Amino acid sequence: MGLKRALTLKAASLVVVLLFVLLLTTIIIGATGISDKILNGMVQDNLRAIRQELAREIRNPEDLERALEKIKEDLIRSYGLDKPWYVRMPDMIWRIVTLDLGNSRTVVSFSGSNKISDIILERLPNTVLLMITVLIINFALSLMIGVRVATKPGSFLDRLISMYSAVSYALPTWWLGILMILVFAFYLKIFPFGGMYSTPPPVDPLVRSLDLVWHLCLPVLTLVIATSGSWIYITRSIVITTAQEDFVSIARAKGLSERIVLWRYIIRPAAPPILTNLILSLAAYLGGAILTETIFSWPGMGLLYFEAIMSVDEALILALTYMYTLIYVIARFVLEVLYVIVDPRVRYA
Amino acid sequence: MSKYFIEGLSEFWASKTSKMGLAFLLIIIIISMYTLFTFPLDYGTRYWNNPKYWADNPKIAMPEWINLFVGNKFLEHNILSTSTIQKMYPSGAYYIKTYEIVYDLMADQFPTFITLKFDNVTFFSRPPTIEVLVIRPDNSTINLYKFVVEPPLSTEEPPYSRYVVEPKRIMLSGEPQLSLVLSNFLLDKYNLSIDPKDVAEIGYEKVIFGEPYENGFKPLKGKYVFTTTLYARDVRDQIGTVSIVIGGQVYGLMGTDILGRDLSQGLLFGFPVALLIGIVVSVLTTIIGATLGIVSGYVGGRVDEIIQRVCDVMNNIPQLPILIFLTFIFGGKLWIIVVILVLFGWPSLVIVVRSMVLQAKSSSFIEAAISVGASRWRIMIRHVFPQVAPYILAQMIFFTPSAILAEAALSFLGLGDPSIPTWGQILEYGFRNGAVFLGYWWWVVPPGLMIVFSAITFVFIALGFEPVINPRLRRWR
Repeated sequence: MGLKRALTLKAASLVVVLLFVLLLTTIIIGATGISDKILNGMVQDNLRAIRQELAREIRNPEDLERALEKIKEDLIRSYGLDKPWYVRMPDMIWRIVTLDLGNSRTVVSFSGSNKISDIILERLPNTVLLMITVLIINFALSLMIGVRVATKPGSFLDRLISMYSAVSYALPTWWLGILMILVFAFYLKIFPFGGMYSTPPPVDPLVRSLDLVWHLCLPVLTLVIATSGSWIYITRSIVITTAQEDFVSIARAKGLSERIVLWRYIIRPAAPPILTNLILSLAAYLGGAILTETIFSWPGMGLLYFEAIMSVDEALILALTYMYTLIYVIARFVLEVLYVIVDPRVRYA
Repeated sequence: MSKYFIEGLSEFWASKTSKMGLAFLLIIIIISMYTLFTFPLDYGTRYWNNPKYWADNPKIAMPEWINLFVGNKFLEHNILSTSTIQKMYPSGAYYIKTYEIVYDLMADQFPTFITLKFDNVTFFSRPPTIEVLVIRPDNSTINLYKFVVEPPLSTEEPPYSRYVVEPKRIMLSGEPQLSLVLSNFLLDKYNLSIDPKDVAEIGYEKVIFGEPYENGFKPLKGKYVFTTTLYARDVRDQIGTVSIVIGGQVYGLMGTDILGRDLSQGLLFGFPVALLIGIVVSVLTTIIGATLGIVSGYVGGRVDEIIQRVCDVMNNIPQLPILIFLTFIFGGKLWIIVVILVLFGWPSLVIVVRSMVLQAKSSSFIEAAISVGASRWRIMIRHVFPQVAPYILAQMIFFTPSAILAEAALSFLGLGDPSIPTWGQILEYGFRNGAVFLGYWWWVVPPGLMIVFSAITFVFIALGFEPVINPRLRRWR
């Protein structure tokens, strides 16, 4: 019961976040007239398609124009363009949620469609692939190195990690990516400059997946170097703080083996705060991923942001902002579930 | 608080990290001051984004100091000018004045381009003719260029001035008639028959500054005397300044970009901008966050509830996507970027400050203050604030690098303020022009280093502050 309640509460608050972002973006695009622009673009796209169809049936140009005029009026009414932006806000929010935002002006999906939903959904898996790979590596590193360092605070390795985390906090992920390309792709020529597959992509599935891994190396390495420092450091700090608790001293005094003390009396109670901090660093990590995709021309949604900014495509940017919030909210929720599992206090509160 | 705080402060002084941070900060402040005093405030629009200002610079030239590390020295960029008249004598209906510029070619490379530049030509009656020739180390002569100054309009009164605002620039490398001259020169001097079209292919610079060698040309080292002759109708006619730009492969301290912009200037200008963004954003964020945190924690009740809910939502928004969205919609003005960074920065501080205030609130000295009848505000300002002050200060320092990094990231995505050059924008321009893929490291590495340097300065100071706030960490340092 307690578990369900805790999770429902978390889910509700995350839905509020999503709604807030949707509301904020809709109000902004409404008040600045951008939503009119997007809807007008959709009306025009529709009209163009209808004109081609009608032109086959109606030969007389005047009749055609008149028929089109009427269809245009209907379209304007159906898209709500005859009403002020705040009246059609719910409609607009629904459009964003379902990614029904019409066509992109310049960006085309790999399959040739220029519908925004097609473009985004096609790129989503690529982004998720990159992010999850890095997430797993970071998590493993922070547990392995963070705990080891925490057992010997003040050691050379500990100082090195502290330094590394400080430096990585000040290190823009995207610039690190540039350095990586310069060193590993331009000078050493061991990794590709970017992209996801070689051109032309290999046909054989095994070679193809190896090619993917080869292309994945630099962006993953970049993101791991840039973000793992703080993860390791957070783990280390929390473990050190927990290690100074009285119950740890008592456990040691009882004569428990160092291994049991470490895992049961230090890491176990340290797990919830570690997770909290990881949850908090998720947003920063998401930002780093957007820029890393841009640097490595990784065909995900981050690169799409860059392309949308370059071609001044408001609808695409709107859709991407929503999608990233959605990804973030989902990732948060998954971590919250984990949190509830590791922290019994939440369950029984 | 005071005992802990003073102990902490001595700890802060003792730590090497904080000393390093403070030293770095001093460097940044000095550079920023220097830049503010020597650069005009409208530097971005007046010079940086004005391609004419950089017309004489070589494009994508490496920094000069690269020559310290390579065996085969690169040619340095050179602009030679003169205003003194070397010789002056009447000849028929003309008065002839000559100006001389001597260039000593010592490098093993050819110049990448040659540009002639004339400033401030004045004449009183008919427009004068200007002729430029070069006498090479082997005493041969090449006539490089000849032109007549634009004649006066009917509305003009003598003396007529030309090339005052913008100098007359002649890019010799792009002059078609020079190919014929050089082709003839090669035939006369070396008995070498090369078609004018092929001369253009080889490059004029190689013919002017070289001699045939095996199947190509090699530089002819020595003194080149560029003589400019003014054929004037009036004795008072003159050229203000004659200049010759010898295009180099290396330029200045930091090299140039694809427009020939001196990167060292852009990098210098980035210092005060980064400092400004970092400090303004962090101070504003901290003021808002700390005030709301103290109020939320101390006042409690419905106020607390509202502030906490708002923070909860704000804290859970992924920052970069929303920053991109907002700067994209509201346009890249520096103050807009600052406002947006502040708007989405404060909530994280509120939550922590609130929990610290809650702790302080239950302490006995606050109870004592309440019992003597101190007002709410007085208690918050005099008693609660000092409790959380060190933490707030540390957070303020910690916000600074994230503001600098966020601005750089937005600039890199092409959302920066185009009227103010920043490191992020230099990087963006480099990246978009393929600097990373063509290996123009001097264009993309230094601006990133600057960002890291300025961000790490504040990280170091904040790290030095850590033991002040968290006494548990003290014994390890």
